[in-house]
Amino acid sequence: MAKPEQQATVTTTVDRLIHEPARLAIMTNLFVVESANATYLLQQTGLTWGNLGSHLIKLEEAGYVDVVKGYNGRKPETTVSLTDKGRDALLGYRGQLLEALAPLAGD
Amino acid sequence: MTMGLTDLKTLERDAFRKFYDDGIFDVYVGTMLITMGVAAVVADRMGSEGLSMLLTLGLAVAITVPLLLWRRHLLRSRLGEFKPGPARRRKISRTRLVLFGSVLLGVLAFAVATIAFQSESSVDVAGLLIPLLWFANSMIVFGAMAYLLDVPRFYVHGVIIGLATPILIWPDVLWDVRVPPWLAFGGPGLVVAAVGFYKLRAFLRDYPVLETEVAADGEA
Repeated sequence: MAKPEQQATVTTTVDRLIHEPARLAIMTNLFVVESANATYLLQQTGLTWGNLGSHLIKLEEAGYVDVVKGYNGRKPETTVSLTDKGRDALLGYRGQLLEALAPLAGD
Repeated sequence: MTMGLTDLKTLERDAFRKFYDDGIFDVYVGTMLITMGVAAVVADRMGSEGLSMLLTLGLAVAITVPLLLWRRHLLRSRLGEFKPGPARRRKISRTRLVLFGSVLLGVLAFAVATIAFQSESSVDVAGLLIPLLWFANSMIVFGAMAYLLDVPRFYVHGVIIGLATPILIWPDVLWDVRVPPWLAFGGPGLVVAAVGFYKLRAFLRDYPVLETEVAADGEA
């Protein structure tokens, strides 16, 4: 089991905005597509509308996602895509996590 | 919340594959085969190829349009919509290329049939070749769809559908046994459509209609 100071190091060196499981799910799902509507993200992540909305606001504020509100016919539709900054951030997060967890593998 | 540890390639593949879990494409293909069987019976009974072709075309339109409209609604309300990434777009383009190639193969089969039937001694050659071309075409089309769209059951569909013409023609050519067209086309068609209906039932059970998005001003 990791010592408390090791745990603290892991959580301080990784991007905590992405580290949250719901936001990580949103980011990874957006990473593999060009864009998706909110219903797609809802289905893929299993979040509720309220949770999805609040996490998207945080990701949008950080510049990680682009949120476009529009209409599909008469129905409101939100389309979300990962920005270049978001893409880089997710790749960076992966590197940070690998680096932070490397000592556990005895490297 | 779904947060399994999975690699991004698998995540993308599974997400894309869901859009073929509805089984409507299977129902569509199966129904088209059954339609071909029905059209063959009509042509046989009424002695009119023209009427048979008209019937096939009419049934095809009557089946295709409502199914496709329903499929669009079904997928949108339960899975949402997405624009695929570059890798998936390349795969979709390749699938279209293969489908175009299969049309060329169909034209080739038609040419072979025409030439073979014109020469007196080659009726059996056509009888042996056309089913082979049909089978090859079916395997190319459905094999490519299975591989490029990551939907493995289409391999099986390729084999089942590919057997329709050999079942119809080879017994007649080799052993003088006539298999009715409704059976040769309808049998495989029924199997594929049944798979589709089974998938559709599972899809309706596993993917409920999601809540409608609400606009900021509260308008649904």
